Amino acid sequence: MNLDKMMDLPGAMAAFTYSDIGDLQSHVLREGTELTPQVLDLLAHSCVANLAIARMEARGWEAVTGQSGFQPLKGFSVVGLEWSVVVNGNCGVVVRNRDADYEATFNALQAA
Amino acid sequence: MNIVKQLMAIPGVIAAGEYAFRGDRFSYEGALTDEFARMASILCRANTLSVNMESEIFDSFAENCGCRPVQGWIAHGGQVTVCAVGNYFAFIENRPELLNDVMTIMRAKVGDVRDDLLVNLYARLGGDTKEALY
Repeated sequence: MNLDKMMDLPGAMAAFTYSDIGDLQSHVLREGTELTPQVLDLLAHSCVANLAIARMEARGWEAVTGQSGFQPLKGFSVVGLEWSVVVNGNCGVVVRNRDADYEATFNALQAA
Repeated sequence: MNIVKQLMAIPGVIAAGEYAFRGDRFSYEGALTDEFARMASILCRANTLSVNMESEIFDSFAENCGCRPVQGWIAHGGQVTVCAVGNYFAFIENRPELLNDVMTIMRAKVGDVRDDLLVNLYARLGGDTKEALY
């Protein structure tokens, strides 16, 4: 996983990897950001939970409605006031909202 | 033109809707049945409250870190993506540039979600929302 490459995404403030249970494994922080490794660790744990919930919902939605296209889940993003965290698999990127390119970020995470 | 109609005018938007705090009042347009729209409203409300709870935890570790209040979330599926901003949701196809366009429009039209999410979500019901909640 090349976190430096992730930091080239538009508006990237931080990039990180985490274990299957959400423990922060590696990270890069843009200088001057208010984010800390402790916040990234919490963020990573919440990302694991959110991905699991979204995967369950996609599976349930398709089963109940008969609609398709929701699975496989290719990522989840939480949009905060100033920044968004975009995650997929075991990698996440924090992007500044005003510069965020959600599609490019999801695509980069999928290719990683 | 209201937000749902504006979203539905964009090619690739499958359905869009608005829901109230309790999840049982909603309006929508697009390829959903009444029952599916009700389910979508409940799902979106549950996820919105969940990510808000998470942001409050982040905030307790790093005050004013830029996450709170949460504005929305995106669940990016294989061919379909679900976007939620405030008390609006949209089901969209995965087409180039559509996700960015929809998020830009939703953020611009819904506006910044205020600090008190419950009041914000409840406000659509009308009346004295503070009294109804507290």
